[in-house]
Amino acid sequence: MMIESSPSSLGAKVVLAASSDENHPPENIIDGNTKTFWMSTGMFPQEFVIRFAEPTTIAAVTVDSYNVKHLKIEKNMSQNASQFEPVTEKEFEYTEGHLQSNAISLNGSSATHLRFIITSGYDHFVSVHRVSVKN
Amino acid sequence: MVKLRARCLLVGDAAVGKSALSHIFYSDGTLFQKNYSMTTGVELLMKCVNIPETNDSVELYIIDSAGKETLVEACEKMWGKPSLLCLVFDLTSEQSFANCSRWMERVRARCQGLQVPGVLVGNKSDLSARREVQASVAKEWAQSQGLEYHETSAKEMENCDAPLLTLARAFHSLYQERRETIQNLNPG
Ligand SMILES: Nc1nc2c(ncn2[C@@H]2O[C@H](COP(=O)(O)OP(=O)(O)OP(=O)(O)O)[C@@H](O)[C@H]2O)c(=O)[nH]1
Ligand SMILES: [Mg+2]
Repeated sequence: MMIESSPSSLGAKVVLAASSDENHPPENIIDGNTKTFWMSTGMFPQEFVIRFAEPTTIAAVTVDSYNVKHLKIEKNMSQNASQFEPVTEKEFEYTEGHLQSNAISLNGSSATHLRFIITSGYDHFVSVHRVSVKN
Repeated sequence: MVKLRARCLLVGDAAVGKSALSHIFYSDGTLFQKNYSMTTGVELLMKCVNIPETNDSVELYIIDSAGKETLVEACEKMWGKPSLLCLVFDLTSEQSFANCSRWMERVRARCQGLQVPGVLVGNKSDLSARREVQASVAKEWAQSQGLEYHETSAKEMENCDAPLLTLARAFHSLYQERRETIQNLNPG
């Protein structure tokens, strides 16, 4: 059986996000709660990076979001949030009035950082409510 | 405190005063270029606007795009997805006003159904003796397109900040609306 967990319970942190609204900080992405969210503040691309406490094998991630159209995921095995390699990308369907929830297979990739790049949206602003990880 | 970012497209016929307006806005009203220097591609200017009565601000990335017909197609490729629209015509040129519908079509094709707040600007209001477009006519057309109408004179530095400040505020309101919507969403 696979265990799905919020990255913060694994000691993970969001170390970078392109946008900022004090009331909706990027930490909200990994707190396991879909009521709290990070919101982009205009223009694309938008990105955030999750750092794991140690190299972690990831079978899949589930992204709960709103108005995201296209998402790319990259990873690295380094201590720094740089030199990423592409893992996968996905086009999300538009949902009206409720969150998008997309499970994305990462094929057991090993990573210390995951970089999420939102290249386009269905609106000027997008939100990410939760990223959970299946080991 | 929120810092928003918006890509503001500045379009309209050649020589209507787009670059003049954007330079005045950018330089806080210190720079008017009397001699015409045609924009041949797109020029990018960034200016941060504070939203009154809040701690919020909007960074406007102003894309001043060439108006000359033969250059438009190449420029369109660099427009990206606009967040805001500033459409300018010359109050002393009926033709530049008539061409605004054509500009709207081009911009709409880029927006892919996205709601893009916009303003229509009649520039060169200082040349009142040569005016060819009446304010009431321009205003009516603007309304039909969902644009807010402003008249400016880059030469006299009159009202030049108003169109872009209006746009910054509109973007800020849109953000607040969307945030409200997202706060009230149901989980998937
Ligand atoms: N009298 C008067 N002249 C103006 C005004 N604004 C601009 N001009 C003049 O009009 C000419 C064209 O202005 P620009 O700002 O270069 O026009 P533009 O729309 O950027 O033109 P393109 O770059 O070719 O698309 C210049 O000679 C300006 O000095 C104005 O408000 N009043
Ligand atoms: Mg110009």
